[in-house]
This record gives sequence, C-alpha cells and structure tokens, in this order.
Amino acid sequence: MKMWPQTLSLRLALMFAWVSVVLLGALGVFLYQSLAREITWRDDVALMGRIEHMRALIGDSQSVEALQQRPQLYANMLGNQESLLWVLDSTGNALIEINPMQLPIPRLPRGQGVQLRNGDGAEASRLAWLHVSQDGRELTLVAGKLLTQRDQMLSAYQLKLWFSLAGGACLSFLLGWAVSFRGLRPVRELAARVASIDAAHLHLRLKGSGQVGELRQLGDALDLMLTRLEDGFGQLSRFSEDLAHEMRTPLNNLMGQGQLALQKDRAVEDYQALLASNQEEYERLARMISNMLFLASADQVNASIRRENIGLHNTVAQLCEYFEGTAEERGMLLVNEVSGNLLADPELLRRALANLLANALRYGDAESAISISSQRLTGYVNVTVSNQGSPIGPEHLPRLFDRFYRCDSSRAEPGDSGGLGLAIVRSIMLLHGGEVSVQSDADSTRFILSFPMPT
Amino acid sequence: MRILVVEDEPKAADYLRKGLGESGYLVEVAHNGLDGQFLSQESDFDLIILDVMLPGLDGWQLLRSIRRKSAVPVLFLTARDSVDDRVKGLELGADDYLVKPFSYAELLARVRTLLRRGPPREVELFRVADLQLEVLSRRVTRGGDRITLTNQEFSLLHLLLAREGEVLSRPQIASHVWQMNFDSDTNVVDVAIRRLRAKIDDPYAPKLIHTVRGMGYKLEVAE
Repeated sequence: MKMWPQTLSLRLALMFAWVSVVLLGALGVFLYQSLAREITWRDDVALMGRIEHMRALIGDSQSVEALQQRPQLYANMLGNQESLLWVLDSTGNALIEINPMQLPIPRLPRGQGVQLRNGDGAEASRLAWLHVSQDGRELTLVAGKLLTQRDQMLSAYQLKLWFSLAGGACLSFLLGWAVSFRGLRPVRELAARVASIDAAHLHLRLKGSGQVGELRQLGDALDLMLTRLEDGFGQLSRFSEDLAHEMRTPLNNLMGQGQLALQKDRAVEDYQALLASNQEEYERLARMISNMLFLASADQVNASIRRENIGLHNTVAQLCEYFEGTAEERGMLLVNEVSGNLLADPELLRRALANLLANALRYGDAESAISISSQRLTGYVNVTVSNQGSPIGPEHLPRLFDRFYRCDSSRAEPGDSGGLGLAIVRSIMLLHGGEVSVQSDADSTRFILSFPMPT
Repeated sequence: MRILVVEDEPKAADYLRKGLGESGYLVEVAHNGLDGQFLSQESDFDLIILDVMLPGLDGWQLLRSIRRKSAVPVLFLTARDSVDDRVKGLELGADDYLVKPFSYAELLARVRTLLRRGPPREVELFRVADLQLEVLSRRVTRGGDRITLTNQEFSLLHLLLAREGEVLSRPQIASHVWQMNFDSDTNVVDVAIRRLRAKIDDPYAPKLIHTVRGMGYKLEVAE
C-alpha cells in the first residue's frame, strides 16, 4: 500500500472524497433516470394525442384519399423536423407520410388500442400506433418522434452531472482535509507533550493536558507506561549504585592489605597469606560478576530456557546429597518430601533449589530439620523449602528478592552470595513463567517456588 | 611441549607465560593477532591459547587462518560469556574455551586435557603411597585397612586420584562430583574434603590431600 498516504488528515480527506463520490454518484444516477423517464412519458403522451387527433380527422373525412388532398389539416400541426406521421393501409403502403428524415416505413405488430415502442433503424425514434378501420379498410395510424434532440439534452445533462460529481469530490477532499487537520490538533498536541519527555523528565505525565475523550485513553496508557519506565529506570540506577558499593568492599580489602604489606619487608609466609587472602576476594568479585551476568542474560526479553520433564524426587535427592555434609556439620537434617514430575530447565531448577537450600542451611537453627516438599495444585506445582529459625521481619519480606538486599546490612560473610542468591531464584522463576514467594513466622520460614503446569 | 599464547593484555600474557613455564611447557607469547599469525606459521606448536579480542587481527580471524593450515589444538579465552561467542569459536574449529576470569587450576586442567590427545585412559587401579582404590569393586584401602566411603566420598577420591598432582578448584570438584555446573557460594566442597580426610588421611601418614590456598585441593605424596 505505497499509494496510501502516510498522514492521517490526508487519509481522512481521501475518505471524505470517496464518500462524496459514492453519494453524489448515486444521486446523479437517480436524477438522470427520473428525468429520462419523465421526458419519455411526456413524449408518449404527446404522440398518443397526435394519434387521437388523426383518428378524429380520419373519422371526420369521407375517406383517407380526401384527407390526402388536404395535407394542411395535419401538416401545420406537425411543423418540425422531428415529427413523423404515417397512415398505412393493410398491406403496409403509406397513404399519408410525413417523414423529413426519410426513415423506412416501420413494420408494426397488431394489437389493441394505442401501442408504443422505440423505432428500429439507425435514427433513434419513438413510435405510437393504432389500428383503425374505416369504411371496411384496415388502417394503421403511426405517429413518431425522432429522439435526437432528447438525446442531446440528456447527454448535456449527464455531462453536467459528471462535472458536479468531480467538483463535489474535490471540494469534499479539501474540506475534509481542513476539517481533519483541525480535528487532529489534540493528537499533535499530545505528540508534542510526549516528545518533551526524556530520561531526565520521566516524572512528567500526560494527565490533564486538555485531551479529548478518545485520546484520554491513550494518554492514560502512556502514563502507565511512563510509570513503569520510571520504576525500571530508578531500579536500574539504584542497581548500578548498589553494584558499585558491593565492589568497593572487596576492593577496599585488597588495596588496604596490599599497601600494608608493601610498607616494609615481611616474611615469605606473610606474603603467601596475603596472596591467598587476596585470592578469596578475587573469587568473591568473580562470583559476583558471573552472577550479575546470569541475571542480565535472564532479564533479556529473548532469554529462552530448555524445559524438560524432571522427576522431582531424584533432583532433590541429588541436592540433598550435595548439601549432606554441610548439613551434618550443623547437626541439620535435610528431609526430601517431594514427589511427581515438573516441566522445567533442570540446570536452572537445581540452581534455584541450591540457592534456597544454601540459604536455609546458613540461616536455619542448628539441630533442626529442613524440609523440601511439593504440592500439586490446579495449574501449577509448588516446591517449598522450609526451615526453622528466627523469623524474617515483615518489613524485609517484600524486598528480599531484590538484588543486593540484605536483612542485616552488616552481615556480609565471605561465603555469602553477595546478596544475589535470592535475586537469581526470582529470575529463574520468571524465566519459567512462575514466581517465588516467602512466608515467615515463629514456626518456620518457607520459600515457595510456583511453577506453572499445564494440566 | 610448545605452547603459543596470543594475548594482548601484558599482565595476562606474562602470568600465562610464567605459569605454563613453571608447569614444564615451552611458552611463546604474541601480543597481537598479526604476530600470532606469523609465529603460528613459522613454527610448530602443540597448543595455541588464543584471546578473542586482539588488536590488528582478531581471534576469530586468526583462528580461521590457523585452521586453514593445521589441526593444532586451540583453546580460546573470552571475556564475553555469551552463547553465540562460544558457539562461534567452536564452529570455527576451536577445541575448548574458557571465560575470563578463570582460575589458573582450571586453565591448567584444560591445557593438560588438550595435550593428552586421544581419550583418557580408563584406569582401574589407583595407587598412591599406601592408598589404593579399585574402581570396579569400589574397594579403598590405606595401609592395608579397608576404608568404607560413601558414594560422594568415593567419587571425590576417584577424581583426586585420577588427577594426582593437579590442583583442582572448588568449582571443578563440584562440577565433577555433583554435576553442579554453577558457582555455588557454599563450603560444600571444603566439607566434603574434610570428611574424606578424616577417613583416609587423618589416621595415617604421609598426608595425601593438600589444600592449596586460594586455588583448591590436590592429592599427591609431598616431597
């Protein structure tokens, strides 16, 4: 559709023009038809009048021959080039003929009363005829009219109609253009307002900028979008800030320890200890970076996962085996209560569960049990990791899955996931179209993974 | 064994030269793609370690030109951990890849694997000092004592013995023993090593499992 114009006002103007062409066209056809019918009707009435007149004349005369002698009786009433008149005998010979254009004598069928039809032959004509008998002779009276003038008049009328159609279309195109240009002004105003919003002015809203009803919906939708963008943007900048802070801690250790070591000569063991300690900080940084990259790639819109049908019990058993030693050291027990199958990415599922189990082992009470259970509900499957321990304060719960969020800001242990473990769990769940939630009370803290499950 | 390292970052190039040299390899370093191309054509190497982002001629182009002439194993290093990059490298004929930052132990393990050529030998009996492990019967003895190990402990010991003398990083161990292919921030590996030590090392001498601080663990008879 390259021909279709790209501006709305031009399109509307074209549509206006089309509508008026259709309307005016229909009107023109109707007017033309009725005029043509009206003229034909008048002509027919006139022709029939002439037939009646001739019959009267013939009735008054003694014979047709007598009438032939007195042409002025009928000639003066005809008087112009268009009129035709024949009086034919039963063999079809013309007894009286007025035929300025020299048309052939028409052959006409018999019938009752005055009959009408269009003449055949090169010249368009209209004929009326009547069969009468006089003194035992069968006569046919034919009155006719050439249609040349009428056709000329009608075609002139047709031309006028065409002109007014074209003129009307042009006029409605121009008027339509003007009207829609004026009518679309609120759209241009909205566009100007939207154009003024950039990264630095994300707080601006379109509400109340004098919009018309239809545009208010659009404005509201745009406002909602702006709110989401503003949130996302804010999150992003908070995130970079957090990231910078998180990297400062290990860097600070590295710089401080390094500078201290270089202040004077030290024993080889000291240098070795320093390097090993540095190594731990580096690994922490490397882990943070790879976690960040994982989160970034999971955030991408086109991130895809490889879903497989996984037997839950075996997967969890494997994880329990993995964490068995760590749990035993704290006197904790891992209880595998899951069953059934799940459609998920096996690697990501293990990673999510491993993060939750590591968390439970870190924060759960010593000498207590951690249970992993599953519930099959309509439409989804829940996998719950539950541990006993001091409850998480309700003020922390909503932000627990945010990146770098820590309930206790001083609690940054060396083995710690850098505040990204739960954020990764959430990302993994979002990749699966599911969600993670947490409940915490005096009895236990429960992390619940909800996987959507087509039934 | 001669290794060509093509790496533009001077510090990285330096430590690779030093480290691989200490592990007994002859190392030559090229600091850009063109030098790398020249060196790789001039002489024969047993392995080429290639950084992807290079000035002059990038790693992909260099890899292509190397593959036109020889089938020398190529290990590429990349800082961009995207699936596309990895697939591209392997399609162009690289044999393995490592994502920066990588642990030195991991690099060394990959280098050894690539230089080993052919499938690894299936060893059925390991013997280090007086420790003995029979793979098929899952029998472990030390100094004649029969030692009972859990499945995990057995796999861990098997791995350490198969890589005797090599430093294994924690992620390497986690990946081999438990198929945990992501960095988990737990002390699981340390705990498992501690428990294994309690069974095979603590009551005996000499100690066989050694902690290499900042790198990982290795099993060997210390000199």
